[in-house]
Amino acid sequence: MQKKHMVLGLAAMLCGSVSCTNLDEKVYSELVADSYYNNRTEVMTAVLRPFTHANAWAAPTGQVGYWRVSELSGDQLAWPQKGIHGFDGGQWIRLHYHTWTVEDDIVWNPWRLIFWGIGFCNNTISDLEKLDFNKIGMTDADKASIIAETKALRAWHYLRLLDLYGIIPIVTQVGEPAKPHTASRKEVWEFIEKELRENVEKLQPLGPSMVGRVSKAAGYAMLAELYINSQKWTGVVKWDECVAVCNKIINGEAGSLKGAAPALETDIVKPFTNVNHTSPENLFQIAYNQTKGKFRFGFHGDMWHYVQWQAYNAVDRGNNGIVVVPSAYDAFADNDLRKKTWMLIDTLKKHPTVRANEADSVVMATEEYKGKPLVFVKEIRRNSEGETGAGGMTRGEENSGARFAKYLPGTKDDAEFWNNDFVLYRLAEIILYKAEAIMRKNGGVANGEAVTLVNSVRQRAFLPTDWTSAAYTTATLTLDELLAERGREFIFEGKRRQDLIRFGKFTSATWWDHAASSAKAELFPIPARQIRLNQNLKQNEGYN
Amino acid sequence: MNTASTFSRRVGWMSVLLTLFCSVAFSQSRTIRGKVTDARDNTPLPGVTVKIVKTAAGTVTGTDGTYSISVPAGNTQLEFSFIGYETLTVPAGSDGTLNISLPLSSKNLEDVVVVGYGTLKKKEITNAVTSLRPENFNAGVARSPMDLIQGKVPGLSITRANGNNPNSGATFQMRGITSLSGSRDPLIVIDGVPGGNLDLLMQDDIASIDVLRDGSAAAIYGTRGNGGVILITTKRGRTGEPQFNLSTAVQRDYVAKKPRYLTADEFRKLAPNYDEGSNTDVYDMLINKGNLSQYYTLSASGGTDKGNYRAAVYYNKGEGIAKRNSRDQYGGRLNINSTGLKGRLTLQSNLAINFNKADLLGGNNGDFEQAVQRNPTSPLMKDGKYVNPNGYNVYNPIGRLEQELSFRDQQTLQGDAKVSLELVKDLRASVFGGISRNTYNDRQFRTKDSKSSQDSYEGRGYAYKGNFMMLEKTLDLTLDYVKTINDKHRITAVGGYSYFFSTTETYNMNNSGFLTDGFQDWNMGNGLFLREGKAGMGSYKSEYALIAFFGRVNYSFNDRFFAQGIFRYEGSTKFGVNNKWAPFPAFSAGWNLHEESFVKNVSWIDQLKLRVGYGETGNSGFSSYNSLILLSTGGAYPLDGQYPETVGPSRNPNPDLQWEKKKELNVGLDFSLVKGRLSGSFDVYNRTTSSLATNYDVSLPSNVTSQTMLNIGTINNKGFEIVLSAVPVDKKNFTYSTDITFNRQQNEMTRISGNLKGNQYRLERLTFGDLPSPGALGPAIRVVEGGALGNFYGKRFAGFTDNGDFLFYKKDGSKAVAGDIKEEDLAIIGNGVPKMMFSWNNNVRYKNWDLSVFWRGKLGVDLLNLQDMYFGNRKWLPNNLLMVALTKHGKLNAAPQYSDYYLEPGGFVKLDNVTLAYRFPIKSEYIRNLRAYVTGRNLATITKYSGMDPELQDNGLTTGIDNRGFYPRTRSFTVGITMGF
Repeated sequence: MQKKHMVLGLAAMLCGSVSCTNLDEKVYSELVADSYYNNRTEVMTAVLRPFTHANAWAAPTGQVGYWRVSELSGDQLAWPQKGIHGFDGGQWIRLHYHTWTVEDDIVWNPWRLIFWGIGFCNNTISDLEKLDFNKIGMTDADKASIIAETKALRAWHYLRLLDLYGIIPIVTQVGEPAKPHTASRKEVWEFIEKELRENVEKLQPLGPSMVGRVSKAAGYAMLAELYINSQKWTGVVKWDECVAVCNKIINGEAGSLKGAAPALETDIVKPFTNVNHTSPENLFQIAYNQTKGKFRFGFHGDMWHYVQWQAYNAVDRGNNGIVVVPSAYDAFADNDLRKKTWMLIDTLKKHPTVRANEADSVVMATEEYKGKPLVFVKEIRRNSEGETGAGGMTRGEENSGARFAKYLPGTKDDAEFWNNDFVLYRLAEIILYKAEAIMRKNGGVANGEAVTLVNSVRQRAFLPTDWTSAAYTTATLTLDELLAERGREFIFEGKRRQDLIRFGKFTSATWWDHAASSAKAELFPIPARQIRLNQNLKQNEGYN
Repeated sequence: MNTASTFSRRVGWMSVLLTLFCSVAFSQSRTIRGKVTDARDNTPLPGVTVKIVKTAAGTVTGTDGTYSISVPAGNTQLEFSFIGYETLTVPAGSDGTLNISLPLSSKNLEDVVVVGYGTLKKKEITNAVTSLRPENFNAGVARSPMDLIQGKVPGLSITRANGNNPNSGATFQMRGITSLSGSRDPLIVIDGVPGGNLDLLMQDDIASIDVLRDGSAAAIYGTRGNGGVILITTKRGRTGEPQFNLSTAVQRDYVAKKPRYLTADEFRKLAPNYDEGSNTDVYDMLINKGNLSQYYTLSASGGTDKGNYRAAVYYNKGEGIAKRNSRDQYGGRLNINSTGLKGRLTLQSNLAINFNKADLLGGNNGDFEQAVQRNPTSPLMKDGKYVNPNGYNVYNPIGRLEQELSFRDQQTLQGDAKVSLELVKDLRASVFGGISRNTYNDRQFRTKDSKSSQDSYEGRGYAYKGNFMMLEKTLDLTLDYVKTINDKHRITAVGGYSYFFSTTETYNMNNSGFLTDGFQDWNMGNGLFLREGKAGMGSYKSEYALIAFFGRVNYSFNDRFFAQGIFRYEGSTKFGVNNKWAPFPAFSAGWNLHEESFVKNVSWIDQLKLRVGYGETGNSGFSSYNSLILLSTGGAYPLDGQYPETVGPSRNPNPDLQWEKKKELNVGLDFSLVKGRLSGSFDVYNRTTSSLATNYDVSLPSNVTSQTMLNIGTINNKGFEIVLSAVPVDKKNFTYSTDITFNRQQNEMTRISGNLKGNQYRLERLTFGDLPSPGALGPAIRVVEGGALGNFYGKRFAGFTDNGDFLFYKKDGSKAVAGDIKEEDLAIIGNGVPKMMFSWNNNVRYKNWDLSVFWRGKLGVDLLNLQDMYFGNRKWLPNNLLMVALTKHGKLNAAPQYSDYYLEPGGFVKLDNVTLAYRFPIKSEYIRNLRAYVTGRNLATITKYSGMDPELQDNGLTTGIDNRGFYPRTRSFTVGITMGF
């Protein structure tokens, strides 16, 4: 003991009294909250964090988020196996056939990513509510507006979860409660409506300074989506409310990116170009900017063939993943401009700048068709082996299926290369929501107003010479037709699963090689790994 | 009197000088003179301690090996001791002359063993410790100092997954897997500096490597002890005239086994559609057939009785079997020791420095994957330019070697000094300070034409510079106490305070769009990407500190009973606020049965010692800041026309984060029989590591992220280790000795899920070894609670369909194609962790010839043959195939599926090292000794494994999975000489 005292004594003597037992961590390359939020920029970086996070789950950029499960479980897009490529543990096949399980990563990842975004929102709200804005040169009005925006953004996250999972816990603070209880679909719906209603008028109107942010227009669009789905989700009809919020946007009461009120583009490419942050049609988007922010809507990984970049003089390699299923391709009339413009089929031509010489004009295939031109075909089957018939999810080849071309990044020499925003809500959808609400209130039958609304969106996709025969009338615009038209208009936009469910087709309809599935598939199961951790969570019907 | 003599024994060979000051002149004495020589070659041995038994008096031999000592009248005995040699006790005699010839020994019980914060005599050791000297090391030019002891330490697995690549390291693992997410490496302590950099060690500088295998010894290193501790001591200065040693060697590597892929003609015949008209053999083109590694080191040492030095300089050029795969290094090491205040004060200091330049471009697995699977008819060049093909998983590796640069310029430095002062009798205080600094600059350059530039940088070239700096500081304040009471009770104790601080800083930058390729990376600012906002840069800094109070007490009774107690109380900055400090106790005891009357009379038993030890150690080898909530950046988003990075919490807090705890029981037996002709040890251990930190799902919401690092899991390792040494023949001109080490181990994941603070956390399984694209066939290895680590888990092969599709067994025994196999049909299909490791060393000495033959092996392991799985499959077309696609796997006509079809028994025995040496009988006043040797390594492998080499990565959690690309394993031959003058 004496020895130990001597040791301690000597130690204390030599190293001073404080530092020799100090084990505090010093952080250099990251931040701690206590010393942050010193000015407007620092405050805003926390407000903006959930937006960049949404890149991971709301857009097709490589993770299994809302977008992938909404499109790959629907009747338009699939990720088939192509020879030795693309089996990926069978997850895309399970999504396509609606055979996911409670343990599936495709079920867990959207939950994980979206609640993570909610965690960012909750953290920002509680950090900023504690902050004295006057001390850092901001006003209480700034504070109210910023917190309102973050709350509306949080409501949008809950709206996505309500769509995918139905019954979910509602949490508004980080860490509290530790084990939240499941709320019913109605409770979640009401929470979202309350949050949006309380905050929508505090939001800034849409304008060039609010690109990619939750403006009034975004808030009302969220409400429109909430109301149009209300009957399906809660059994309560909200058609008038839906029409009212759509009108707010259409009338310009919520602002516009350009001009007094949002307006439909006449060119169907414009909402999706690499300068689409100026499109008056767009209402809410993830605002990417590769040039200035090194932050891009990187869809090439999911969408492009390995060598598809040659067609665009881009530099980015694809994984040859997602394709259009044959029945969805056929759902477009041949004279529908959307078919030719938003999808890619037939021989892929090289961009002039990547041609070695005049003759070198086509992109060459690399797998089954190595040594031959890459020719996309609408079938998903082993054509190289002489297969006929419908094909199937495991029967793909490197050129199977029409391909995504709705968004194009520009060439690598373009100053706006890869600056496309990913559009979450655009005016076309609000117009179709309004038309749908009118039709549904009218017993599912179109009236003149509904037809006018739908035609205003559809007309852009046809040459004037084709329009007469392509235009809808009150006789031809059925609800089924509206669903099909929504499919054509919003293909690749992450909307399809919700639409199919609202129109009652998701589990009952058949398409391509997909047979009708079980009714429980209208909701994804609550991930089993979360139920094990939190016994206060309930499982959706049919998954126990 | 006795105290002084035990003290000198305690400090041992490192402080032989001190004994000088203990000499006392006796009256009534006579003088004995003589010369001490090395029994092997009769060269003089300077610095040998000559001591009068049972007194404190003594001297050391001079540079010519002579001594002179006055001894009291009567029947006096003299003890001659020198590190590495037998200690002899001889009657002083009466004629005044006593010449002594000291035999070499590595098994001497008086040898000191380095055990951390001091040394103990071998006979006092109560733990599982392996002590190796240069004569035990593997011969040849070592790529790393750890190669010297590969196969020599039972239970220590040293694996070089990349063979003899001069720029790749080895992995180490002691007694199995002890951590899931944290560090599993043993702690390496060089001259008392923990975390010392192995780059600083040249094989000729190493005096000893001591390995603390069990927890009862490693507890003195607290939170860093779980992986075991390897203590490396470098050579020190010696007293006497300067002596020089030169050591030099050259080595060449040859490919041991080349993969059998289709030649261009065979490929053309099989797949005429894919014929692109050329004939290439990329594998051959990647091989540096003229590789030659060279090694030179020169050292000098000398000094007086009050101070000595050793200085060494070296140059080493390592060339790998691959092109653009080399490492040039040079540096030096300096050791200075001084004593003062009549022996009460000592200063020992070391300074070591290494400069190396590595060409990192070549030798990567990707290039060798291309060599095997690239279309051999595809041209490499067209119109004088390299062709970079498009397509999945194909590039031009020859073009890459010409169009890219990747170099690392590294400097490492270690300096340490220990000042030691005898405060009062029996008590010494020491201050030890060590600093270790590792810095490197990386540079990379890719021409505009290179594939990387074309694919990712708009064809505008690419340049990169990166810098890394790690600085570690150690301060130890210790008190040593030694006391012998009544000649029977001996107590040695050490206690102290230790402070360790580590900081790492990195920065890097890259740019593209250069005016010309001619700048390479030497005009970074010139690239237009910087102006266009597409250049990149980054920097990072982190640090941590460990603070400890520690003590160790050894007690021995009459050389019969030994006991040791260790306690360390240690804190780490990395732990959560609720768990900053951790206690690590250990206790061990030994019983010299051969001192007991019932054994003492058995003439053929020289030594029989029973050891029992229990110790607790920890592991804090995870990254800093894991317990804190940090705000991190998460991508840029528009704000007022600018694009600031956004900020949000990057993890959930865990104020309870703590060390991983290992409790280990070790029982051992050391024996020496028939006058040392047969000796060895046996150890059996059982260790349980709990509170393993890994990421667990937490409730989401209300947490922000889905996982938190929690201390829950438990792993149990048990096994036994045998070391046997025998000298079957021991004649004057002919000796044959042999050593065997063997160990068997078992690793079990006893707990993955569990309760923490009332919450239940669960991990269904841990998976490792994700199989590469295409097809994303999922992880190969699955670990579940109660199961072994390293289990392969997957489908069970049941034959082929007529179409060549795979069939697999379902749970009920029926057969089905892959699409119908469900989770429930999967099973454990093998295990990639070797159950047994062994080595067998043989030394034959005939006159001046020495021959050593070293076998090494691992048994009880399954290997996943990934090359067969992907390239031994016709579906891999249009890329090239292995010949087995048409022969062994000829029936197969389906995309790869992961199953036991591709698992093979992986046990092997390697003829790892054969060295033949000749010692020239030189009688010259200039040359003391001259030895020449030839070494062949990796000469033969006996295995059932059909792949390139069965020695795959078997440390850690991803084990037994072959690479698709494979740095060639080589057979190497070395010729070298060592000379003393």
